[in-house]
Amino acid sequence: METQFKLNRRHMLAGGAGVAAAAMFQGFQAHAQDAKTPEPKPFPEYVRFKNPAHMIVHSDQTIEMKRSEFGTSIITPEDKLYIRNNVKAPGEDFVADRDGWQVEIKGVKNPKTLTVAELKTLGLTTVTMVLQCSGNGRAYFQEKVKGTDQKISGTPWTVGAAGCVMWTGVPLKAVVEALGGVESGAKYITGTGGEKIPEGINPLDVMVERSVPVKTLDDVILAWDLSGKPISLAHGGPLRMIVPGYSGVNNVKYVKTVAFTAEQSQAKIQKTGYRMHKVGEKGAPDQPSIWEMEVKSWVTVPLGDVKAGRNQISGFAFGGMNAVKSVEVSVDGGETWSKAELVGPDMGRFAWRQFVLSADLKPGSYTLVSRATDSQGAVQPKEPEINGSGYSHNGWLAPGVKITVA
Amino acid sequence: MKFPAAFAMMLCGSSVVVADPAKLELGKKVFLELAEPNCGVCHTLDDAGTKGEIGPLLDDMRPDADRVEAAVTNGLGAMPAYDGLSKEQIAAVAYYVASVAGKQ
Repeated sequence: METQFKLNRRHMLAGGAGVAAAAMFQGFQAHAQDAKTPEPKPFPEYVRFKNPAHMIVHSDQTIEMKRSEFGTSIITPEDKLYIRNNVKAPGEDFVADRDGWQVEIKGVKNPKTLTVAELKTLGLTTVTMVLQCSGNGRAYFQEKVKGTDQKISGTPWTVGAAGCVMWTGVPLKAVVEALGGVESGAKYITGTGGEKIPEGINPLDVMVERSVPVKTLDDVILAWDLSGKPISLAHGGPLRMIVPGYSGVNNVKYVKTVAFTAEQSQAKIQKTGYRMHKVGEKGAPDQPSIWEMEVKSWVTVPLGDVKAGRNQISGFAFGGMNAVKSVEVSVDGGETWSKAELVGPDMGRFAWRQFVLSADLKPGSYTLVSRATDSQGAVQPKEPEINGSGYSHNGWLAPGVKITVA
Repeated sequence: MKFPAAFAMMLCGSSVVVADPAKLELGKKVFLELAEPNCGVCHTLDDAGTKGEIGPLLDDMRPDADRVEAAVTNGLGAMPAYDGLSKEQIAAVAYYVASVAGKQ
């Protein structure tokens, strides 16, 4: 049947009925798809404000932004930002009374439960930062082990589990100072998500509770706004613990408890989940936790074929904890490099920078790659060392873009 | 025939593959009983009659066997690694989920 179809298609295209042929081609594809799999369901309620055309749906809890949607927008619109929920998102009742949402602050001299309205009296700050899933780029690791007996579990994100957004809230430091300061002996800030865990399950098995080093206190904020609007339920509203420079999972949604603790959380997601380990090994508490992000960049324009002549090759670069110092772009897959220009506003060390290389391209095939260097001199590797859960991919080779110039 | 037709034969591309009923049966048992906690506590899967909502809806996700096997073996995100299951049991539950998810 497939052979027959291809013959038909070629025949019709050769006949000059290009538009009709294309329409029939699409119709056939849709039909063939129906025969094998049911119609895709509409987005779950909590992400219905996103346009499915902009997104790649891996599951109802893992939704990636298409690479073509990055474009040249430095701030990623919330309706395109990726989704990764570790447990099912709560209902709209969570955001019914945003100012009334309560968060318990523990491990301070005067522990107290505060409402968002009370938090708003204690301080105000905004941070622009890259929010990136720990597994962004996992697909590139999974490609490496394809066909072997090694397995890397997890969503096959490419580059779209990341965005650059602005969070507004209160510095956690200001909250702590109002409550008498941190108790001595605290080594971690442990945030707990408010998702309800159903009966019959050990809460520690599935609850979202993450610990980050207490040194992050200078940067952490309890945020209620995302890029100028109250944070949607999908992205953790009414209140999210934001740890700038740390990968997505550490930014706890629906935060209901913030505790200064001597030990890391005993929840599985902290104890054995999100750990850096070898392929074939299991996650364990003695392995490094997935915390700080590393220097990274990728090309976002162009992604398809372009005309010969002057072209602007652009993308985004960030340094995790550090500012980006420079970006190089190669049009020949990394054989030769040219320094790109950093353009647009510098919104601080946690935000990404837009880069552009103006290039005169002759007809031919090209592979576009970018390589960033941070302010501490860390350079993106060609290929990062593989790890068992496929975390923290920051290589420059795999996200390369092949284009034809005509 | 002991098993419903959907179990016995599955369309895979253009070729017809005969399913392994014993493996499907074991896989369903692992899904519902042998895994601890059992898969249905967190996952919705029509074929197994489960309505769990903690993790992804398997009928929507339609993972292939490799993906299930990796997730059950290694754990993933909030999902624990299932150390208590044998390789055979994990292969069976992976085969079962990949065979039935989204097929009803």
